[in-house]
Amino acid sequence: MNELDIRTIRSSIEKINTLPTIPNVLKKLLKMLENPATSLNDIGHFISHDPIITTKVLRMINSPIYGFPGRIYSVNQAVILLGLNVVKGLLLSVSVYDLMKKVMMGLWEHSLACAITSRLMAKKKGLKEPEESSIAGLLHDIGKVALILQFQGYYETAMSTADKKNIPIMDAEKELFNINHATAGEWMAEKWSFPRNLIEIIGYHHKPHISRNFPVETSIVHLADILVRGRGFGFAGDRTVPPVNETAWALLNLSNNDIKEILKELEESMGMANELFIE
Amino acid sequence: MPKITVDRLVVGMCLAEPITNEHGLVLINEGIELTEALIEKIKNLRIESVKIKGDSKPEETKEEMILALEERFKYAISYPHMDTIKKIIKEHIERLYE
Repeated sequence: MNELDIRTIRSSIEKINTLPTIPNVLKKLLKMLENPATSLNDIGHFISHDPIITTKVLRMINSPIYGFPGRIYSVNQAVILLGLNVVKGLLLSVSVYDLMKKVMMGLWEHSLACAITSRLMAKKKGLKEPEESSIAGLLHDIGKVALILQFQGYYETAMSTADKKNIPIMDAEKELFNINHATAGEWMAEKWSFPRNLIEIIGYHHKPHISRNFPVETSIVHLADILVRGRGFGFAGDRTVPPVNETAWALLNLSNNDIKEILKELEESMGMANELFIE
Repeated sequence: MPKITVDRLVVGMCLAEPITNEHGLVLINEGIELTEALIEKIKNLRIESVKIKGDSKPEETKEEMILALEERFKYAISYPHMDTIKKIIKEHIERLYE
């Protein structure tokens, strides 16, 4: 059977949680998320019984990714303040952080900058929970992690193709795998029982015009990705800024000045955020 | 001006912006050189980060940054709005060196 047959790719991606490289904590977390009866309380317990996770969660929560005004000192306080969806996303980001750092140099920095930019944009658009946009920004490229974990050799080929032809990495992925990282990410997110909004944003962040339930949130991550690549923070597999989707651009309707302000705040936050995550 | 977390402050750093309380009253003024006692005081204020004076310009030169920017936008520049986006980012980068 062809290794790059689309069904084979899908099943490989859906099996990622069984890889030995996946930390046990993440495995436990995924089990919890699978169970619809898991409550905010259960998750609070899960975090506070693991001192390493506790530290990581508090560090992440107090970073510019979320931008809360005061310092958050305890897991309980965090859980109450943030609610179930955000806490789930937060835990996923904490667990995926190590994987991201492992698979592609610069992908973490790219994702971090996208998280901050998405949050700033969500605030500008008056969204009620800008933290959800932080998480979406942080996890939007999870499909790249999936493809690299399962098909490292092929992914390197896609990266060289993108480089040689000067095309976006998603086009090179498509040539090779018949799908791009957004689809891979969507499969992984579904399998991992991510919250609905996250699955849709991850799956459609390169075609936000067909996002049905979260068009604004998806457009935010789409444009954040472009701004961050344009500014040159991190590395996401290629050196090319992809074109902006016209529907998303019109929907967000940001003024030049809005974008300037977002970039300025992003710039200030990045120095601080990078410092925070150096181990 | 770099913005840094409170736990990374060291004696001798200079505040680039005043530290205020929640009503906007100035507690420690800008330009003040930090002493151990002041750093302790700032820590007790439970603030996340402060802006300190100093060079936060990127490591690359402006010319290198602009050249890299042009390269990155080569592929998509003829698509709608990409010229606008590039222009905004270019101005942003130029401002980092002012």
